[in-house]
Amino acid sequence: MSTILQVEEQRQGNIPVLLLRGRMDSTTSPEAEGQLNRLIGEGAQHIVIDFSDLEYISSAGLRVLLAAQKRMKQTGGTVLLAALRPEIRKVFDIAGFNRLFSISPSIEEALGTGQGR
Amino acid sequence: MPADPVNEFIVLFQMMCVVVVFAYLVTRTRFYQEVLDGILTWKNQVLLILVFGIVSVYGSMSGIEILGAPLNIRDTGPMVAGFIGGPVAGIGAGLIGAAYRMTLGGFTMVACSVATLLSGLIAGLIYLAHRREIPGLAVGVAAAIIIEGVHMGLVLLFSRPFSQAVALVSDVAFPMIAANAVGIFIFGFITLNLKKEKETARERDRYQGELQRKNAELHIAREIQESFLPPALPSLPGYTLAAESRPAREVGGDFYDVLASPGGRIGLVIADVSDKGVPAALFMALSSTVMRASAAWHQKPGDAVQDANSLIARESSSGMFVTLFFCLLDPDKGTITYVNAGHNPPILVRNDGTSISLSMTGMALGVDTSESYEERSLSLCPGDLLVLYTDGVTEAEDSLHRQFGEERLESIARQKRSHSAAEVLATIQSEVSMYTNAMPQYDDMTLVVLKVGS
Repeated sequence: MSTILQVEEQRQGNIPVLLLRGRMDSTTSPEAEGQLNRLIGEGAQHIVIDFSDLEYISSAGLRVLLAAQKRMKQTGGTVLLAALRPEIRKVFDIAGFNRLFSISPSIEEALGTGQGR
Repeated sequence: MPADPVNEFIVLFQMMCVVVVFAYLVTRTRFYQEVLDGILTWKNQVLLILVFGIVSVYGSMSGIEILGAPLNIRDTGPMVAGFIGGPVAGIGAGLIGAAYRMTLGGFTMVACSVATLLSGLIAGLIYLAHRREIPGLAVGVAAAIIIEGVHMGLVLLFSRPFSQAVALVSDVAFPMIAANAVGIFIFGFITLNLKKEKETARERDRYQGELQRKNAELHIAREIQESFLPPALPSLPGYTLAAESRPAREVGGDFYDVLASPGGRIGLVIADVSDKGVPAALFMALSSTVMRASAAWHQKPGDAVQDANSLIARESSSGMFVTLFFCLLDPDKGTITYVNAGHNPPILVRNDGTSISLSMTGMALGVDTSESYEERSLSLCPGDLLVLYTDGVTEAEDSLHRQFGEERLESIARQKRSHSAAEVLATIQSEVSMYTNAMPQYDDMTLVVLKVGS
């Protein structure tokens, strides 16, 4: 188990895909926040976040995603979350954030959602 | 003494050793450190003149004589005085050095004396040109080379017979220039190092002062935050109630509240602001105040939470949110009506050992202004135990990052259900700290426990 968060950026077509690996908490999430803000600043319409390697998310991590979602909404964009592990999914469910984000079982489906819009 | 390169080198080396020792000693004196701090009182200027005048005299005395003119570092003293104290100090030290040189006589007497005076003046002017700051090492050494060049020029200009002057200059020019440049380098190096050390120390002191002030502020913030929590819990006939909040840092984002409502009802609140530390604490202050006011205004918990949400959501930029559980207990009827706004589901353990979790009835507060909150009701029976908690409890981790978890919490609650609220709370806390062992508390941790019956 790691105590860090690695953020890796890839592109699928013109949609940026952020791969989060490790733990997203108050210590580690500022870096992800910086990356998200940069992508939004560059005018990304959709951002896909790959959760398959994320082990833990705290409320600080949720806050970063929520802030990104709020910013994206202003320009009609969305944050698409994909491949959440069950324990991560539960954190979203408890707070009621499953209604707030588009959550897909896999990257491919998330990309389909992004392109379909 | 004949001009012998080896002998010259040895003498020069000895001179430099004296310069090093002298530079070290003088930089330890209080007056010199004051001068470095820019405190150029008359007393300090006089001391500069005397000390570096003596250095200049030593420069003359330690020199080796070549054709009646000593190879020397007489100009180094006045230059240092000028570089660190300005023209007055430079000229003053130069005057002492020059006066001594005059007593030595020789055909270069006038040229050498004037040169010593000039070296103090030029260094002082460079100091002024640097806006009364000590020039850097490179500037100082370059200036020393130029000044010694001027010195040689003066010898050629004023000393007669000219042929002797030429012979002297061609003999001593290079070692003179080199010796004074090295002298300035040594003084400059030690002085600038000291200055840097002093600046670093000052920076560190400032940083430490800042840190102390911040810590003091955080301490006050903590006290203020604690004052937002109920000072004492009401005693409810037929029930026991216990609550405690432990922030992970000085201040935190968790809070709980116990509110008296019309008709003898009691409102219980537990909440957790996203993230922790100061930002969470500020948002906690807002949220707890809004919730308290809204609960006092509305009869129905659903309306109270809905109103609180729309107020909080309006203030929430940067994605801050707060998960909150609010229930109204009617002690006489033994019922609770609750709203769960995205909070970790409280655990209700029945007298018979079965348990239910009071799951979400609406989204966390601060996200969507138009969110509406459903309320649900339950009947409590004697022996029932209600445990409200924040995720700091269930997400507490051992050294292998394994979480304490809801199952463990629920099983403690079930086992201890016949105990009083205070006992259950203490057991949960000690189980969590045993589980995490020596790991530092990572997140704010809050528990509110209600027991039906004593």
